[in-house]
Amino acid sequence: MVALPAGLAIAVAIVAGVWRARTPLQYFVGGWAPPLGIALRVDGLSAIMLVTTALVIGAIGLFAREGFSTPTGAHETRASLAFWTLLMGVWAGLNAVWLGGDLFTLYVALELLTFGAVPIVCLDGRAETLAAALRYLLFALLGSALYLLGTALLYGGYGTLDIVLLSGLVRAEPVVWVAAALMTTGLIAKTALFPLHLWLPPAHAGAPAAGSALLSALVVKGSFILIVRLWFDALPGLLGQAPAQALAALGAVAIVFGSVLALRQARLKLLIAYSTIAQIGYLFFLFPLAATPPSFASATAQDWNGVAWTGGVLQLVAHAVAKAAMFMAAGLIGEALGHDRIAGFGGIGRALPMTVFAFGLGGMSLMGLPPSGGFVAKAMLLTAAVGEGQWWWAVVILAGGLLAAGYVFRVLAPALSAADAPVAQLAPVSLSRQAVVLALAICALLLGLVPLRPSQLLEVGRPVPQAALAR
Amino acid sequence: MTGAGALLGAALGLPLAMLLACLSPRLKARMPALLALAPLPALAAALLASGGVLELPPILPGLRLALDVPGAMLLGVAALLWIAAGLYATAWLRGRPDGGRFALWWLATLTGSIGVFMAADLVSFYLVFSLVSLAAYGLIVDDGSPRARRYGLIYVALAVLGEAFLLMAFVLLAQATRDGSLLIRDAVAALPASPWRNTTLALLILGVGVKIGLVPFHVWMPLAYRAAPIPAAAVLSGAAVKAGVIGLIRFLPLDTALSGWGEALAAAGLFSAFYGVAIGITQSNPKSVLAFSSVSQMGVIAAVLGMGLAAGDGGVALAVALYAAHHTLVKGALFLAVGVAQTTSARRLWPVLLPAAVLALGLGGLPLTGGALAKLIVKPPLGEGIVGLLATLSSAGTTLLMLHFLRRLVATSTQDAQTAAARLTLPWLVMALASVAVPWALYMAVIGGTVSDALAPAALWSAVWPVLLGGVLAVGLWRWGGSLPEVPEGDVVVLVAEDAKRLARATGSLLERLDGMLRQWPTAGVSLLAIGVALAALMLTGR
Repeated sequence: MVALPAGLAIAVAIVAGVWRARTPLQYFVGGWAPPLGIALRVDGLSAIMLVTTALVIGAIGLFAREGFSTPTGAHETRASLAFWTLLMGVWAGLNAVWLGGDLFTLYVALELLTFGAVPIVCLDGRAETLAAALRYLLFALLGSALYLLGTALLYGGYGTLDIVLLSGLVRAEPVVWVAAALMTTGLIAKTALFPLHLWLPPAHAGAPAAGSALLSALVVKGSFILIVRLWFDALPGLLGQAPAQALAALGAVAIVFGSVLALRQARLKLLIAYSTIAQIGYLFFLFPLAATPPSFASATAQDWNGVAWTGGVLQLVAHAVAKAAMFMAAGLIGEALGHDRIAGFGGIGRALPMTVFAFGLGGMSLMGLPPSGGFVAKAMLLTAAVGEGQWWWAVVILAGGLLAAGYVFRVLAPALSAADAPVAQLAPVSLSRQAVVLALAICALLLGLVPLRPSQLLEVGRPVPQAALAR
Repeated sequence: MTGAGALLGAALGLPLAMLLACLSPRLKARMPALLALAPLPALAAALLASGGVLELPPILPGLRLALDVPGAMLLGVAALLWIAAGLYATAWLRGRPDGGRFALWWLATLTGSIGVFMAADLVSFYLVFSLVSLAAYGLIVDDGSPRARRYGLIYVALAVLGEAFLLMAFVLLAQATRDGSLLIRDAVAALPASPWRNTTLALLILGVGVKIGLVPFHVWMPLAYRAAPIPAAAVLSGAAVKAGVIGLIRFLPLDTALSGWGEALAAAGLFSAFYGVAIGITQSNPKSVLAFSSVSQMGVIAAVLGMGLAAGDGGVALAVALYAAHHTLVKGALFLAVGVAQTTSARRLWPVLLPAAVLALGLGGLPLTGGALAKLIVKPPLGEGIVGLLATLSSAGTTLLMLHFLRRLVATSTQDAQTAAARLTLPWLVMALASVAVPWALYMAVIGGTVSDALAPAALWSAVWPVLLGGVLAVGLWRWGGSLPEVPEGDVVVLVAEDAKRLARATGSLLERLDGMLRQWPTAGVSLLAIGVALAALMLTGR
């Protein structure tokens, strides 16, 4: 409980530092500079991710206090010991991903993250969650192996893994392509981009609510940020239009596919899990939209890359906050009703108004309704897509919003309906946990106050795509 | 902050504050009694603060509320309707244990409905437009019956579709302004020169078309107004739908002549105008008849704006605002009349029926009513040609439809010997009076028209003959129209709904099977390999 506010305070201090300095901060561990030592770096992206992580994990910690606390005098149960240890482990892993300055440190961070996240899936020890966790573990390890293989190739080729040093050395040559393809594939397997999402629905739906929130909101974002680091920082300007469009195409299919399947789920947690698959899809629009060399963009002075960059990162943050709130709200509804079948939600809005309101606010962000973080993110991605003449992504973004409205409505309509008899036999749900969920959902709403223009904080350390390199 | 700015803030702030107060269950339970208070500052703002501007606090940069003359006219009448319907709703909700829930949706819709007339930038306009559109769902499904929920679903699906069109249009509008200004004024000024002009206009008309029920997007209107309780139907048909009208007024670049777009909009509008009449006369429920009349009237408004756009005549905004203001008052009043008539016995119906008849015929342009002024003021933009003639014939159609409505209204009265409670009748009488008085006041004070213009013999004759023609048609309808089949309220929806449902189900189950396949280990392994190879190949060949 001390760790949660302390972590948030450190994250805020780092943001303030980056904001004041207007340049990335770095710290050489043990005073040894790369290539000998290891560097930790904070740019605008890392700073934002640090704060988001601290905020979401703080909320998850407060939320989980009731389910996983140990009363004084009682023996600590296995689940509660494991939960708090794993929560801190995942937090450490995430922060290492945000801060890591070389590809091998990032590998270690990724593994820490995976090994922290997998057991959370099977905390309750039921057979089906064990199977889901194993599935997750195997696929994640496959992804890690591919990433490590790529890293080894790059090390063989250039003799360093430090991102800054590497970015000065890489040239467009086959070893880079093979390494980058291996690493990207491994990472999208861990991010559960369509069609590599096999592990996500059972894992995210099977975990306890606090765990689902952690996995869906933050853990999948870790491997996504690594893809961003790889292409934007380590290999700047090397991402051609064809692979960028291919990645976004997978994202587009993920949006439509995940949303349609979310529409068809009978259980709330599975619905939210499929919605995560769809929302991850939006993130991959970052590659064609934020890495467009000026030659491809229409000849205007506007910095569409910057708009897309802020929009993409905001989508990531907004989804993290909103999705954590929604999974926790689903957990509370499940606890109160004893099930999470959507068909049986009649009248729950009157029994748990705060929770259903929080779910609705999170849903607003997913749908992209103003005023919410999701609205600003989608508006900026749309703006960038149109500005760069890639209007086909705009169509998918809008269609995704419509489908999201559909699946959010599916939950809210029975929950808010009046005619059904009051829900029978509700288990009591403490007000404080409802308040935590609502507070997080309100944070998702407040993200809508971000102005619709490239954020100066996020510009810190953002590499500008250059026409010459990309050709 | 100026006094006018403060008034604008209060107009939006009071309903918002009351909405937030609903977070407390105790206050929420008391809210039904206070509904009529919420629009009072908006009415004051419309009367006193025309021309006022309020910059929102710096935490929301670039956002602004402003009130121009067309906005003030529509805001004023909308506020008036919300007050009268609020009084009616308070009386109607008396004794209902869950009145607080109705009040919550009411206040949310009200906030959006007031806000659209004042929002001066793209973001806040989108926000309040979404609010008035989506919150209305709660009012439509208020009775919780399966039918209301089905109708509500159709409504909300179309509303969200409209939102998506509008969002894309706004993104394109924002791109047209080079300096990143989000003000509607700047965006619309830059629109004619925008490389995406045609796409933007198409998306705008589609997005707003859903809201104003332009055929074929009208299907939600009869369903929603029929499902909604009387006071909600009154404000939805009168005030909320004007969000679409103000949207057209604000976003069409009326100062630039775009003849192709203008004529297309006028044609679509006129089609709606006649379609609404044609389907409306087959309906037996008076609320459905009124809904189809709204389809028709919104069509006329679209036609007038289309002709204005074709001619590059910015002055048409004011004329349309007066026309729409009259429709707001009359349509709201007539829905309240349906509510009053439902609780009045047939023998005591005359005090309700007579004013209702005057108002209803006013929609067709009966001389001396506000409707005659509304028709008079949109005559010049419609012109003398074929469009003008068709618009005049649509007035005859409206008269026919309204006579049909009056007949159905009589049929809904109860058999018990009773008179509607005064607290239901009073709001209706206030609205009836306002429907005649306010258009005259606006005509003389804002437009600067004179009584002699309005009562000139030529003007009177051109107003009278469509009404007479409509009367003749109505007699014909009653004699020989008995065998008209009743078109289902959701006409087009009924035709396509089953097929669409089947198609959606089939697609869904196909994707579900695909998901089951993709989530098998062998398939996933192959996909993993394929993606790796494809990425490497794309990178190698992409050079």
